[in-house]
Amino acid sequence: MNELPGTDSQPRETMIQMRNVVKRFGANEVIKGVDLEIHKSEVVCIIGPSGSGKSTLLRCMAFLAEYDAGEVFVGGELLGYTHDRNGQRVRASEPEINQVRRNVGMVFQQFNLWPHMTALGNVREALRRVRRMDKQGANAQAMKTLEKVGMAHKAQSYPVQLSGGEQQRVAIARALAMEPHIMLFDEPTSSLDPELVGEVLQVMKQLARDGMTMVVVTHEMGFAAHVADTVVFIDDGRILAQGSPEAIFQGEQHPRLQQFLQNYLERNAFWAR
Amino acid sequence: METLLSMLSTLPLLAGAAFATISISLVSLVFAFFLGTGICAMRFSRVAPLRWLAIAHVRFFRGVPLLVQLLMLYYLLPSFGINLSSLAAAIIAISVCSSAYVAEILRGGFLGIPPGQLEAARMLGLGGLSTLARIQVPQALRLTLPALVNEVILVIKASSLVSVVGVAELTRTAQNIAASTYKPLEIYFLVGAVYFVINILLARLGVLGERRLAKAHQS
Amino acid sequence: MTFDLTILTHNAGAILGGFGVTLETWISGVLIGILAGLAIALLQLSCARAVSGALRAYIEVVRGTPFLIQLFFLYYGGPSVGLSLEPVTAGILGLGVYGSAYFAEVFRAGFRSIPPGQLEAGVCLGMTRWQMVHRIMLPQMLVIIVPSLCNTIIVLSKETAVLSVITVPELTGVLTGIGSLSFAFLEVLVALCLGYLTLVELTAWFGRWVERKVGHFMLR
Repeated sequence: MNELPGTDSQPRETMIQMRNVVKRFGANEVIKGVDLEIHKSEVVCIIGPSGSGKSTLLRCMAFLAEYDAGEVFVGGELLGYTHDRNGQRVRASEPEINQVRRNVGMVFQQFNLWPHMTALGNVREALRRVRRMDKQGANAQAMKTLEKVGMAHKAQSYPVQLSGGEQQRVAIARALAMEPHIMLFDEPTSSLDPELVGEVLQVMKQLARDGMTMVVVTHEMGFAAHVADTVVFIDDGRILAQGSPEAIFQGEQHPRLQQFLQNYLERNAFWAR
Repeated sequence: METLLSMLSTLPLLAGAAFATISISLVSLVFAFFLGTGICAMRFSRVAPLRWLAIAHVRFFRGVPLLVQLLMLYYLLPSFGINLSSLAAAIIAISVCSSAYVAEILRGGFLGIPPGQLEAARMLGLGGLSTLARIQVPQALRLTLPALVNEVILVIKASSLVSVVGVAELTRTAQNIAASTYKPLEIYFLVGAVYFVINILLARLGVLGERRLAKAHQS
Repeated sequence: MTFDLTILTHNAGAILGGFGVTLETWISGVLIGILAGLAIALLQLSCARAVSGALRAYIEVVRGTPFLIQLFFLYYGGPSVGLSLEPVTAGILGLGVYGSAYFAEVFRAGFRSIPPGQLEAGVCLGMTRWQMVHRIMLPQMLVIIVPSLCNTIIVLSKETAVLSVITVPELTGVLTGIGSLSFAFLEVLVALCLGYLTLVELTAWFGRWVERKVGHFMLR
């Protein structure tokens, strides 16, 4: 939901480009040739049934899942692979991969906070080790980010002392502190008790309003309907539908999308806009 | 009963022997920890031969009885020109044997860290060394503390075997006293009690240590 | 340094005899240990506080003292109370006692791993305690405890070497005897290592096989 004045005629910068990406796990082809573009300040929600490959697709954007064929470009640079002297494609080294995805932040379903550090400790760790900031600078930056997600008052708490929603907000702050250009969210609220989901979605909405480029794999159709610029429906490793929320939720629908939404609707009503 | 009381007169001697047992065990454990850490690192290496060497080390030294390892060190080496004192043979044998167990314990600790935490570190750009030092080691140590305390207790018990090559620790001293007083039942009971007390104290210390660690940080 | 196989081949009979004693003491000790350990664990489940407390103390003492001391206590201390044992008998008894404490812990952990809800269901259906142990707990436990059982059995196989100290003619005793007579320590120690590694690896392999076979019937 980003109101960007006068952008209709201006082509938006492509932040991530996926071309014919294929990912296999053993003999099983999970991603079957996907093309996708993520533009600057765009909020893209990826929806689909379990096992459709949506999380794997997101992880390919971060090279946490190493795609087998096709290309993923982040900021114009090929992610995960380079070419050797003979022009053959080889897996890039870890430093090279880090270089390409330096502006990509990720938020995980299981939060993945480091349990032996406080919230502040978690957020400033990368600022200290990767950005090599000094103690004061890192602390200040970390606190600022924690304030942004509403967790400054719990800076000295350990993850085990925080609720799920609070932990996820700290995890968002941790990724945000590194000032990424793109934020990837892998089912950020799926592990949360229903009453804690709201506070996390709130933070994400604010990020969207501030113009962050976001790719969100989610089951929260309300978020997709209200906040997304583009909704992507993936099933069995292929993108079956892609468009604005209106087009996806209310327009002419691919039969599998219809089935998916029908199943969802039977448990949730989300068309109230 | 009176025999038990007369046995108490041997306590000063046993105290010295207990000190020897504890010292030998602690020194061996320190060596075992460093060696075990090295073996564990090799176990996770990307270089296949290093991994195989680590696996072989663990399987060999956990598969052959400590007594055999001790005898090997003490009796075989002289044929190669290396003459070790019984104390040196004892410490080396226990160190190397325990290192195999320590390596496996540490390996279990590292494998017990949820992989998602390492992914988060990668996404934030943290390099291998940073991740190891700041995220893996602190948590692995916390996870393995109970098993490491158990290893300390196992080494204290295993040290009784070095009596076989003549080291004057608790068991050897007990044998000497039994031979001179002809009261084996009483003396072995007493020495058993001494070992038991040492191990109980160590177990207590371990529990305290775990609690301390858990209070400061949580997992 | 030469390697002379003939030292071993000349004494093949004695060596195999020693290996036989190792197997005999090991298997007997394991059987006694498992039966006693299971009995102890069952008693701890059902008995009065005093009894399970005493059993707890027994386990702690046996696990908290060196095996060698326990052997000395039995073998050298036994005659003082009228218990004169042959080395092999003392060895088997010692292994059995030592093993029983460890096996008891394995079984205890196994019992505790059964979700209490299943027992509640059994009680509601009017099952007796023995029926619950026999029909609900033991069958499920067996799969869970196979690795620990296997581990303890391997530990006992290595402890048989300690029996040589009380003059039991098992593998270590026989081979070190040959070694000290002939000074052929390299050959002797290679034979020893091969002997024990074989036992340990075979047992581990067998344990994994059992795990697969038994686990096949239970989805975990």
